[in-house]
Amino acid sequence: MEPIKYVDELNNHYRSLGHPVYRWTINSTAPLHRIDKPLSECTVAILTTGGISQCNMSPFDPNSYNDHRLDAIDKDTTDDEFQIHDAYYNHDDADRDINCVFPISRLRELVDAGEVGRAADRHWSGFMGRIYNRTKVIEESAPAFVSKLNEDAVDILLAAPA
Amino acid sequence: MGLVCRIAEEANIATVCVSTGRDLTAQVKPPRSVFVNFPMGNNFGAPEHREQQLGILRKSLALVHEADEGGVLIDLPLTWPEPFYYLNRPTRKTA
Repeated sequence: MEPIKYVDELNNHYRSLGHPVYRWTINSTAPLHRIDKPLSECTVAILTTGGISQCNMSPFDPNSYNDHRLDAIDKDTTDDEFQIHDAYYNHDDADRDINCVFPISRLRELVDAGEVGRAADRHWSGFMGRIYNRTKVIEESAPAFVSKLNEDAVDILLAAPA
Repeated sequence: MGLVCRIAEEANIATVCVSTGRDLTAQVKPPRSVFVNFPMGNNFGAPEHREQQLGILRKSLALVHEADEGGVLIDLPLTWPEPFYYLNRPTRKTA
């Protein structure tokens, strides 16, 4: 099937709520950092925006917006230690198996198989809430996040939006 | 998310965005993207489908070394077994 036209759907949704026309970020170029060492020597961290928190943490606000909360998730957390609170996608499948959207166990398996060097000590869940204050992302939240990735010597960030 | 990837990449962390929203991702243009034409929330496939999840993860990580220019977006040749739709709805159960 053809990919869903999320931009059109969201524009219609915002219009139906009486919101002004949303000004999407449209970029024509992107940076690229090349890595010299093989994947088998790289440290990988995962970032999800799917409203996923550990059961011993407070849940995300499922209807949030401009929520810059970012949780660190220990790389050894098991699949049954997560909860999902996000009203903007259907997480029935991810409730059954967190790896549908946040492949923490699958990454561990690639590490165990020697295909990936190591998982970072911390994975990440956040930036979930329809964030419209982009300046705060650019100037504060994203640089703070990058500092934490550097603390963990992360080579590769695997990002899974939901 | 694409914006965060771009900022991480500029700080010398290689990023791959595994997206289920092709048009959303294409316009933000993260450094490297993999489009999976599955429902949002199934970026790595179906529940308890370990081989499919591993396959998508492997393809995504491989793109780190395969990409030769910023903004590359590859389409994985995968088909979800049933129709799915845009949703502003909480779960399939209540839809």
